[in-house]
Amino acid sequence: MNNLRLPAALALLLLAALPLLATAALALGALFDASAWHALWQDPQWQRALTYSIWTGLASTALAWWGAAALLAQGFVGQSLNRLLRGLPVMLATPHAAFAIGLAFLIAPSGWLLRAASPWLTGFEFPPPWPTTQDPWGLGLIAALTAKEIPFLLWTAATQLQRDDLRQRWRAEHALAQTLGYSPQRAYWRVVWPQLAPRLFWPLLAVLAYGLTVVDMALVIGPASPPTLAVLAWQWLQDADLAINAQGAAAGGVLAIVVLVSALGWRALQAVATHRARLGNGERGHEPKRSPTPSVRPEPFDELRTGSVEGLKRTRASIVRWLRQAQPERRGLGGTKTAFGFWLLAALYAAVLLTLAIGSIAGVWPFPALWPEALTTQAWHSVWSSRSTLSTTLVLALAAAVLALAWCVAWLELAPRHWDTAMRPLLNLPLVLPAVLWVVGLYRVALWLRLEGQWSGLLLAHTAMVLPYVLLALSPAYLGFDPRYQALSASLGHGRWRFLLRVKWPLLRRALSASAAVGFAVSVAQYLPTLYIGAGRFSSVTTEAVTLAAGAQRSLTSAYAGLQFLLPVLAFGIAAWVGRPRRFKVATT
Amino acid sequence: MTTPAPTLALTRRHLLLAAGAATGSALPPAWAQTAAPAWTDIEKAARGQTVYFNAWAGSEQINAYIQWAAGELLATHGVKLEHVKVSDAADVVKRVRAEKAAGRKAGEGTVDLIWINGENFAAMKRDGLLGAPFTQTLPNFAYVDTTGKPTTLNDFSVPTDGLESPWGMAQLTFFADSQRLPQPPQSTAELLALARKQPGRISYPRPPAFHGTTFIKQVLLEHTRDAAALARPFTPEAFAGVTAPLWAYLDALHPHLWRGGKQFPANAGAIRQMVSDGELLIALTFNPNDAANEIVAKRLPATTTSWQFAKGTVGNTHFVAIPYNAQARAGAMVVANFLLSPKAQARKADIAHWGDPTVLDLARLPAAERAAFAAAPLPGQVKQTAPALPEPHASWVEPLEKEWTRRYS
Repeated sequence: MNNLRLPAALALLLLAALPLLATAALALGALFDASAWHALWQDPQWQRALTYSIWTGLASTALAWWGAAALLAQGFVGQSLNRLLRGLPVMLATPHAAFAIGLAFLIAPSGWLLRAASPWLTGFEFPPPWPTTQDPWGLGLIAALTAKEIPFLLWTAATQLQRDDLRQRWRAEHALAQTLGYSPQRAYWRVVWPQLAPRLFWPLLAVLAYGLTVVDMALVIGPASPPTLAVLAWQWLQDADLAINAQGAAAGGVLAIVVLVSALGWRALQAVATHRARLGNGERGHEPKRSPTPSVRPEPFDELRTGSVEGLKRTRASIVRWLRQAQPERRGLGGTKTAFGFWLLAALYAAVLLTLAIGSIAGVWPFPALWPEALTTQAWHSVWSSRSTLSTTLVLALAAAVLALAWCVAWLELAPRHWDTAMRPLLNLPLVLPAVLWVVGLYRVALWLRLEGQWSGLLLAHTAMVLPYVLLALSPAYLGFDPRYQALSASLGHGRWRFLLRVKWPLLRRALSASAAVGFAVSVAQYLPTLYIGAGRFSSVTTEAVTLAAGAQRSLTSAYAGLQFLLPVLAFGIAAWVGRPRRFKVATT
Repeated sequence: MTTPAPTLALTRRHLLLAAGAATGSALPPAWAQTAAPAWTDIEKAARGQTVYFNAWAGSEQINAYIQWAAGELLATHGVKLEHVKVSDAADVVKRVRAEKAAGRKAGEGTVDLIWINGENFAAMKRDGLLGAPFTQTLPNFAYVDTTGKPTTLNDFSVPTDGLESPWGMAQLTFFADSQRLPQPPQSTAELLALARKQPGRISYPRPPAFHGTTFIKQVLLEHTRDAAALARPFTPEAFAGVTAPLWAYLDALHPHLWRGGKQFPANAGAIRQMVSDGELLIALTFNPNDAANEIVAKRLPATTTSWQFAKGTVGNTHFVAIPYNAQARAGAMVVANFLLSPKAQARKADIAHWGDPTVLDLARLPAAERAAFAAAPLPGQVKQTAPALPEPHASWVEPLEKEWTRRYS
């Protein structure tokens, strides 16, 4: 097998890289149009729209990053991470557009929150003229994006923390830092976070790129005059006029540049931050004199050596604390705080989902009535009558997820590590390039290969979109797999296949099934590729939802959002069931 | 300056001018002479074909109507009608154009029939994305009211030249809850007075949203001093003079609109939702029966009334067209003919199914078929229809939208 390894990896590489490169090249090729750039430059809205895009994208990413980091800190310190992660699949599965619609109805001037207080408290008989949705500052969009991206970041961070090697090392280091007198929180920020954060670079970039280029959420809840640049680009790309299309592609190019610059900026910031964190100017101690990387190998029991009584007391206290925390059955004190932050997020999701549920059966519902005057199941009838699209969606998502998973497993198994590292920027292109631009390239590839309107073309397009997410989800656990298992298996005389089938893959069951679920969810959510490559002949749950939402009926949109939500929840549920941990009785010593 | 760049920079209006000039003179006799194959041959060829009908799908009722048509067509003509659901016809225009750019020939396309009008039709016609004229071949075209409804031959003042077959009529219509608004405004001038009296309760969709642009056209048609110029293709010289009263009106109106006219709802659907919620007073639609439909669906209160301005509102016709590269051209023609049949038109006009006004001349129909159309007005339907004002030439849309965007966003 080994002599075939490199050729096989090369074949895999070509299999993925060629379509991705072709798509990217054709998408970027659309940018070489001087008159389009000129038209963009002349446009009266684009600069303000770009400002909106940058502001909402950066602010939401920063907030999501900070929120996820804080929740993780509390979860890690309080040992409640697993409990915390249990609610994530539901949040991950909530479609972005659906979340925005629900949130908009909560906070709108005619929304539920104000209805609850009107007119008895506020005196409003009519909705007040407050710009709480589509606000000119983009705050609604920022809130929606932040709430939607925190679960994604939490989840990708969790995939890192599920790596056996990292988890054990970080726990040990965290405990060690506490023996040096750092509080559990501070120890986390000094020791664990600086190691975790750089590993979240690609997920963060995906969040950033999404925030900068999102169209559907921005349409629902974002600023409107002008909208964000992504919305403008999307409108221009939809225009019947070729010249305006080119202008839309150019706007997509601008967004791509913004993503790139932000990514580089983030890298630089992180380098500085990591460097400073390593210097360890924590309150407890002084800058280490000899070792530049005390977080990895700190001077143990500094206090003992200096012999100060205070220090000894503190050391003892922290050892006691460490021992307490090491007891698995104990719920850390931090748990309550985690619970608060997490419950807040969960409550928001619950409120949004409830709003959607009620909205899907609401008929006439004038302000300030708290409950609809008339209920109607018409929207659900309509959903039911287009259930045939369910099978298209299901088969497509399953096939794309399985193909992508198979490729990723083969790649991670066969490709040398430095190949993998080098290829990541290319493989992650669909994550980073604005969707409006990417789909231009995808469509050109499909036209060129005569795959438009074909099932095979649609499947390939979906697989290309799904691949980076699956790879992102799978690689931490896969690459972190303890190599000693293989040595052990080999020492028992088992071959590679036997090792893979009986040891490695069963042990990675959880990561494998979760990655497949992510792929499934990503495929279900694809709108633009389904529409373009499918030439409208294949309708999925999402294309149905979006086309019907063009009529802007709250009930129908809510009902379809419900359906769009149900499929990924099912997938995550199945993944959780397949990947459930086996229970062993642990002998307590 | 002989580089290709200036050609690329040529705007849509130049091309439209050229297209308009060409079609205005030379084409009609040409397509009238085209030897029409016998209709029975077409029906024979159509049997067994699958027609991919690309049609906007934002309404359940319209989708259900197309489903019904598909059942009828399969039973009577053996034609399989597939509704390709789209959110914007411009997407389809782009797809056909991309197919042409990729060298697809006749019979190699993904679109057989498209629901279209206005700018999208002008673009397809200009770029040669439509095949040969076909409407004169359709037996049911004889029933079309081409004199009483001249927009069935002139789509936004662009001659259809037989390249698209009329399907339904549309006219700008307003609706409101009569309990909140007992006296509806009868002109844009009265609308302004109402906005002054009740600030923040009126708005219109942000152009280039279709209904927003139409509202602007309505204001323009009511206030301009040179309405004749609007029927001709756009010229930069005429623009300032023709549109000055429009901007004066909007400047006066905007401070009294929802959110001070600094923001506008995204589309007519959003406005309808806001009217239903009580946030806005007046919604606008292109379907005179829209409010009645919504009342039946329990999405609007039964006290909702619809009306058109006394002196008339913008009206137009929507069509179906066959792209040059349709795979099932014969099938598409059979579908277009069926959609024009009294049976299909009567069902479409029926409020229980769609409620879209017919393009046919009822006087020309046999009495039995005419009876299917007669119906007493339902709650929410327009009681007194007003004259339909013809749309400005399609080439005016883009300059109007551009100028609006420049001034107000």
